[in-house]
Amino acid sequence: MSDLAMGSNKTIVCIKPVALSASGGAARSADSYELNPFDRPALEVALQMKEKRGSPVIVLAMGPEPSAFVLNEAMAMGADAGILLCDRALAGSDTLATSTALGTAIQNLRPFDLLLFGTRSSDSDTGHVGPQTAELLDLPLVTGVYSIDTLENGLRVERRIDDFREEYEVPFPAALTIQSGSVRPRDIGLLEMVPAFEEKELLTWRLKDLGLSPESVGEPGSATAVISLSKAQRARTCEFLTGSNEEQVDRLLSRLLASGLL
Amino acid sequence: MDTLLSEKNRAVRRSVRSFCDEEVYPIAREIDREASFPWEVVEKMGKLGYFGVQVPKELGGAGLDTMSYVLVIEEISKACASLGLCVTVHNSVAVFPILTFGNEEQKRKWIPPLARGEKIGAFCLTEPNAGSDASAIEATAIRRGDRYTINANKVFVTNGGVADICLIFARTDPEAGAKGISVVVAERGTPGFVVGDLEDLCGMRANPVTSIRLYDCTVPLKNLVGKEGMGLKIGLAALDIGRTGIAAQAVGIAQAALEEAVKYSRQRRQFGVPIARHQAIAAMIADMATQVDAARLMVYRSATLRDRDKPFSQASAMAKLFASETSTKVTDMAVQIHGGYGYSRLYPVERYYRDARVTRIYEGTSEIHRMVISKGILGG
Repeated sequence: MSDLAMGSNKTIVCIKPVALSASGGAARSADSYELNPFDRPALEVALQMKEKRGSPVIVLAMGPEPSAFVLNEAMAMGADAGILLCDRALAGSDTLATSTALGTAIQNLRPFDLLLFGTRSSDSDTGHVGPQTAELLDLPLVTGVYSIDTLENGLRVERRIDDFREEYEVPFPAALTIQSGSVRPRDIGLLEMVPAFEEKELLTWRLKDLGLSPESVGEPGSATAVISLSKAQRARTCEFLTGSNEEQVDRLLSRLLASGLL
Repeated sequence: MDTLLSEKNRAVRRSVRSFCDEEVYPIAREIDREASFPWEVVEKMGKLGYFGVQVPKELGGAGLDTMSYVLVIEEISKACASLGLCVTVHNSVAVFPILTFGNEEQKRKWIPPLARGEKIGAFCLTEPNAGSDASAIEATAIRRGDRYTINANKVFVTNGGVADICLIFARTDPEAGAKGISVVVAERGTPGFVVGDLEDLCGMRANPVTSIRLYDCTVPLKNLVGKEGMGLKIGLAALDIGRTGIAAQAVGIAQAALEEAVKYSRQRRQFGVPIARHQAIAAMIADMATQVDAARLMVYRSATLRDRDKPFSQASAMAKLFASETSTKVTDMAVQIHGGYGYSRLYPVERYYRDARVTRIYEGTSEIHRMVISKGILGG
């Protein structure tokens, strides 16, 4: 396993390549994935910390080879290096097995100051992975973080949940999940494209690099299994009201009243 | 066709497309209507590297390949052809000549602000009596002591209203014919540098196309790009890449028209079915898509040849000819598919139709391109 020579104050951001469509079985290329939109704010927070504190940013993702480009894109935004956890044995991992793999990789990246996640993903929306990984690594965790102030050896963070604002102080190293509306992620420019694809380090770690057994990840390492996946069908009907304008309004009003919408 | 692109090329396209969807397309209609230049968006584009796509990193650019460059131009032009024009002219015929023929001092002085979009470039060749026949220009830059005194009347200058750094084609030796033409940089603000009124054009209305007149405007001798007498050589080299850029622009406009036509033909119902179900419309969609693909392939070929350091002049001229002719045909069909609404400003296709038309005229008319291409084949 290559050792990324970076400062101990680094930030690790876990980003998820999400499939753009749920069509099973089709050959997937890079264009079938995108960087989970809910992870972009976490990356933005890390990049702002880098500008403020000089803390290097490592992006970490788990997925098949063609999804590696989300790491290149994150590096084009300003991340310093990327690591893709990629192994056939990882296929079918639920959120627990994913956290096991990510947590093991992150263990290998110690020391660091900050571990960031989005709050959820656009494809499965569980919100499990951040908290589970923090738990496995025994890190203090604040979820749904809205804003951050840097202290000497930690952070003061504001969490917004259910119309309440909570403030916490956390020491380094800490894990946070970042509220998606809290910052506007920067646009990906052209200036960092060449470094992102040709110069910055993009590592691929296999299961053996992580020192994990195939039983601890993938389907064997998962506590849950998705039995089936199908698109929810909502019955929608369209009905044209007829008659004069007055009659149509009367009919519409009586329908709305009867349905309890008015 | 995507298999012809590298991962980096695709990332470039994705990033520009996403920026244009969010920031450029939403204002395109309004800036066309008002003939206004969107400084705020241009500033953002500058910070993202769009004004120095192929400028080396050490001079403040993105250092990307030609393939990335044509993708950038196609995507911007798809959202707003006027802005695509601003960016392609700036990159290909203003920045490129300085980068290729300029000396170290000139590059260090002019390229970084140009690459960051803090300064906009313009290419001033066309005059009232010299267009296709570039060697007929009447502008002069006469050496007096350590300065050139420039007198010029340049018309249809793309970016003219906002350009800071202008490449002026002028006769440094009025007796030497075509060999007496040189390129001298004149900066806006120099005494005698006058920006004329906006041209009231049919399309590309958000680009401030103006005349630029120089009245006894003096600039230091060190503003000469390359050597005296190299003007036409520099101009032709710039137009080689410039034409690939215009071809990419034409493809972008055509792609936008095609997408609108597809969308509309699925929505609009006549005779009880969406008009896309009528063979006449479906056949038009097929022709449009095929021609846009062919034009794009020619653009990609030209870009690939240049990236491989192979001669690409002929490929560039063919791409420009074909893509511009295709763009006017495809936008015309998009208007036709939209029927009366296509002729209305309610829908964007009328803008595409107006914008596409000039791609057959500027940076060499289709007629000049046929002349260039046939010379390449027949010799002479």
